[in-house]
Amino acid sequence: MPLHDVGYRPWTGRPRPRGAAGVIATTGIRLTWKNRWLRRVLFFAWSPAVMFAAGFFAFEQALDEGVITAGRTAIGRLDGLQMIGSLVAESLGGRLDDPAEARRTVWSRLLLAFMRAPQAMLLAVVVGLVAPRLIADDLRAKAWLFYFTRPLSRFDYILGKFGVLAVIVSLVTLLPALALWLVGVLVSPSISVALATWDLPLRIAGAAVAVTLPTALLALAYSSLTAETRIATFAWFATWVACWIAHGALSAADATAQADPQASLTATDDAAEQAARPRPRPRPRRFSWLARAAGIDGSADRWAWLSLFHAQGVVQAWIFGIERRLAAVLPSLAMLAAVTFGSLGLLFLRVDAPARA
Amino acid sequence: MIAAAAGGTVSCEDDSVPESANRSLPVRLDGVTKRYGRRTVLSDVSAEIPPGITGLVGPNGAGKSTLVRAILGLVRLAAGSVSVYGLDPAVAPRQVRQRVGVVPEDDATVPGLTGVEMVQYAARLSGLPATEGLRRAHEVLDWCDAGQERYRSVETLSVGMRQKVAFAAAIVHDPDLVILDEPTNGLDPLERRAMLGRLVTLARDHGKTILISTHVLRDVQSICDRLVLLVKGRIRLAGTIAALTETASEELRLRATGPLEQLVAALGERRVAARLTDDRRAVLLAAPTAEALAILWDEVARIGIDVMSLEPDRRPLEDVFLAALAAPEEASHAPA
Repeated sequence: MPLHDVGYRPWTGRPRPRGAAGVIATTGIRLTWKNRWLRRVLFFAWSPAVMFAAGFFAFEQALDEGVITAGRTAIGRLDGLQMIGSLVAESLGGRLDDPAEARRTVWSRLLLAFMRAPQAMLLAVVVGLVAPRLIADDLRAKAWLFYFTRPLSRFDYILGKFGVLAVIVSLVTLLPALALWLVGVLVSPSISVALATWDLPLRIAGAAVAVTLPTALLALAYSSLTAETRIATFAWFATWVACWIAHGALSAADATAQADPQASLTATDDAAEQAARPRPRPRPRRFSWLARAAGIDGSADRWAWLSLFHAQGVVQAWIFGIERRLAAVLPSLAMLAAVTFGSLGLLFLRVDAPARA
Repeated sequence: MIAAAAGGTVSCEDDSVPESANRSLPVRLDGVTKRYGRRTVLSDVSAEIPPGITGLVGPNGAGKSTLVRAILGLVRLAAGSVSVYGLDPAVAPRQVRQRVGVVPEDDATVPGLTGVEMVQYAARLSGLPATEGLRRAHEVLDWCDAGQERYRSVETLSVGMRQKVAFAAAIVHDPDLVILDEPTNGLDPLERRAMLGRLVTLARDHGKTILISTHVLRDVQSICDRLVLLVKGRIRLAGTIAALTETASEELRLRATGPLEQLVAALGERRVAARLTDDRRAVLLAAPTAEALAILWDEVARIGIDVMSLEPDRRPLEDVFLAALAAPEEASHAPA
């Protein structure tokens, strides 16, 4: 039996229903955090940051010793850490004759590589773990009746659910990247480096937004289409994989066409002769995966817009100032905008559809 | 009290509500029409729901849930208007829902939350601060007789406990209007009686307006002041329960246990007109004069009958309901 039952009493406080989105977000985060697998993945998601932090440290060590400007000729005289730093700088294309410019270039590209390669993959996993439940569970449990009979709008609801994802995604993308920047500042010789690279945290934030908005909204839109969590999860990963395969296939076809002049209808005899000549073997680049992740090796391929992952990479490269050709970025930017607004429109149509039916 | 309006719809006007206060009437429906494609779910529904307890009854598919959603501003109307405390839910849904609490028929739970967390969540969504929301959640759960089960996940609660949690979540922000969809569904008799008692307390002692959408006419007859019968999206009948169940005759109904046939025979011998009801559980006294009543008590005492009640005869609400359903659509009526 209740111990403190004093009967029904009116509530005389002043309601403040404007913070409904925040209430939904905080409650959603608390519920999501109960997922043991999510906590494991989030823990694991920080491990690449440790490796990249080592890269920052090695680069700063090399820069501090003045060996970066000596370039490859000095490699024989370097210790292991400095050599790694030097190679990182070289593979990321830092201007070795200017330490300040080298730092700026290498930091930007290291951060971009970090956000693109390991974190974007982990992001897909984390979003796949969290997002499908957010709305689908509400549809299954008919919680929409609970929500939409209270003083909140569709916008509040969507914003609250998006807030859950945004916080979880930022734990994978924004926070580790900012932590890396901070590590870079701490291992650099002077704190003034923070002023010299002040724009990088802003670029990190911009790149995180470029990732979070389309992915989170698309995943939420899938979740709003079904009451079955597993279907939403499947749709999310299927989209990710299908886009990746489509992009890979078309890019490979392009590469094949470029490598084989006979395949080109516009190939001239001269071109055929040139192709017949033995080509100089390109020097293998160390840390080439890092260079690719940093968008140095053809980040803005023409099919990037087809894949969420690649389109985000192109836009992030643009935000970090690495890809400067706006024409190359526009298709990806347009695709991400279309995904964002399309998902948002779908969400507005779907979240309270049962209440209107 | 009740006036029939054009088009077969009915407008209930309560004498207790002055004209000047009409603007703050809990609910006013004016020509409400709602269509889903070609199907008309609500057709020119006009009614006013004054303070007190109103039962919204009707067969399945009558449009009760749609009417409730129209009151909450969840559906876009094809025609007509809804006013809740003078506010249009389509224009100001937040303000309207701030003053309304809803207990849905279906289990509307937020997976993963405990009972008390869900009520606190409802409080916070309605604008209560977190700490105050928790305090208030415990307060209303105490009032609903929810014991330690409140700390269990809502998905694992019994039907009765879920109903208590849903009810607590609906009233946690102290709304002026409480709408309940089948509030006694799945409740045992004790819980059912307790739930109805709480509704009466809210209405009588705290001035809340209660709108109950239900199939259970017994509940409506026991606690409701008024009834609105919705059939195929139209109001077929509306008015106070007293007016709807009133009969033209002056008969008195004696509810009692014992040899009622013997009582009727004894009354007949003493020239008091009386007859057994069809279910043979009560006696109807045709001309309740003082002399006839004296004879009645005399015979009751002599035969040894246990009297439960003696009251003016009223039609069972079920009869009223069935008669209204059987009547042609044009014959919509409201007793004055």
